[in-house]
Amino acid sequence: MKEFLLDAPVTREFFSYLGNFGQVEALPNVGEGFYTFEKTDWFSIKGFIGDTTLEVRFKKEVMDLTVDFLYFLFSSYREGTMDLSQLKQREQAIGERVRKNLHGYD
Amino acid sequence: MVLNPPIIYLNNAATSWPKPPEVLAAVTQSLTLPVFGSGRTTASQGEDYITLARATLSNFLAAEPQEHVVFTHNATDSLNILIQGFLTGKENGCHVLTTALDHNSVLRPLHEFERQHRIQLTILPFAQCSVNPAAVEAAIRPDTRLMVMTHGSNVLGSVQDIQSIGEILHDHGIYFIVDGAQTAGHIPINLQKLPVDAFVFTGHKALFGIPGTGGFYVRDPELIAPVRFGGTGTDSFSLLHPREMPERFEVGTHNYPGLASLAAGVSFIMSTGLDIITAKADRQTSFLVRELKKEPNITIYNDHPSLPIVSFNINSLENDDVGFMLARAYSIIARTGLHCAPLVHKAIDGGKGCVRLSLSWFTTDEECRIAAKAVREIAADADSSVGSS
Repeated sequence: MKEFLLDAPVTREFFSYLGNFGQVEALPNVGEGFYTFEKTDWFSIKGFIGDTTLEVRFKKEVMDLTVDFLYFLFSSYREGTMDLSQLKQREQAIGERVRKNLHGYD
Repeated sequence: MVLNPPIIYLNNAATSWPKPPEVLAAVTQSLTLPVFGSGRTTASQGEDYITLARATLSNFLAAEPQEHVVFTHNATDSLNILIQGFLTGKENGCHVLTTALDHNSVLRPLHEFERQHRIQLTILPFAQCSVNPAAVEAAIRPDTRLMVMTHGSNVLGSVQDIQSIGEILHDHGIYFIVDGAQTAGHIPINLQKLPVDAFVFTGHKALFGIPGTGGFYVRDPELIAPVRFGGTGTDSFSLLHPREMPERFEVGTHNYPGLASLAAGVSFIMSTGLDIITAKADRQTSFLVRELKKEPNITIYNDHPSLPIVSFNINSLENDDVGFMLARAYSIIARTGLHCAPLVHKAIDGGKGCVRLSLSWFTTDEECRIAAKAVREIAADADSSVGSS
C-alpha cells in the first residue's frame, strides 16, 4: 500500500476521469464522499473527495509495469474535456505485458 | 503530545492504547537509574523490575511457584519456545491437536513441524464460536502427545472451555499449552485450578504493558527442553546452559523498561479490580452488538462475545474500505483483514476478513456511541448507494 500526496484536493470529476480506465464505486454520503477505483490486476485507489491524499494498492507481481502508468494517469488529469488517446494507447501496451506476466498470454 | 484530531482507538485486541499513567511513569522511572539485574552489575540501588514483574504476574495468574513464570518478547515468542521445547526429543510423526480458532502464532509453528514431517497435525473445527470438548476427545489418538489452543478467539471474542478440554487431555496424558494472549487481563485466570501445562500471555494487550513484553507459565519445566542458550548472569563458569528456573528459558539481558511497564500494568488492573473492568467491557460490548444489529446489512460474527471484541462486515463493502472510512472520516481506529487467524475467516466469511472493534478499560461510553453511529451510517449509506458512478 502506498499513500499519494496530491497538490490539489480530490474531486468527483477526478474519479469520473479514472472511470475511463476501470471500475469506480462511491458512497457519496460518507464524509465528503468515499470513492474507490479498481483496475483489475493493476491497482486499486481509495480516497475521500476534498482530501489531498489517496491510498493506492498495487498488485505486487506487476507493480514495476503499472506504477509509471499511475503517475502518468495522475499527472495527465486536467479539468474539462480531455483527449485520452495517449493514455489509452499506453494502457493497452502495458496491459499486454501485465496479462503476459500474470497469465502467460498476450 | 495530543493527537489532533483526537482518535477513537478501538484496536486494543492488537495493542492496547492508551496505557495507564502508572505504566508510563514506571517506564520513565526504569530508565532514570542504571538497570539493576542480579548477577549483571555491581549496582545496588534501583528497583529489581524482573523480580517485581515475576511476583506480580505470579500473584495475578495464581501461577506458583513464581520462578515458573518466564518472560519472553511476546506470546508468539512464548509459543515457539514451548512448542519447540516440548517436541524436542519426541518421536517423529507424533500427533498434535490444535483448532481452527487459533492464531498464526500457533498455526505457523505447528505447520512448520508438520512440513518437516516431525508431527501429524489435526486442526479441530469450531461451531457457534467454540470448540466442543467432545470433538477434542474424539480426535485423540494413541500417538497424540500435545494440544495447543487459544483461550480466547482474537476474532470472535469467544472464550474456550479449557477446563473441560484440559481434563480430557490429562486423562489421556496429553500435554496442554494454552494461548492466553486475548484473555489475560480481561477475565480471571487461576492457574492453580486450570488443568493446563503451560499458559502463554502477552504484555502489550489487556495487561497494559508496552510492546516487547510477554511470557508463559510452565507447570513442569522438565517437560520442555530449552531451545535457547546463552548468558544468564548465573553459574557463568559452566559452559552448559543452566537448567534451573527461570534461567532455563530466559537468555540474555531482560527488557527492563518492558517488565517495569508490565508490572505496573498488572498492578493497575488489580487495583482497579478485574471484576469492574470486565463488567464495563461486557456492558460496552453488548451495547455495540445491539447497535450494529439494528442495521440489516451488517453481519456480526458473534452476538455474545465474552471478550470486548466485535467483529463484523457490512455486506456490500470490503472490510478494508470500511476500516479506511472509519479512520479517515470518523478518526476511529479499528483493524481489518484476517487478524492473523486465517482459518477462522475461512469458516465465517469465506476468507475475506472482517472489521474488528476491540475495547479497553479506557474506552468511554461516548466513544462506543460514536463508533456505533459511524458504522451504522456507513452501512446505511452502503445499503442505498453503492454502485458505479
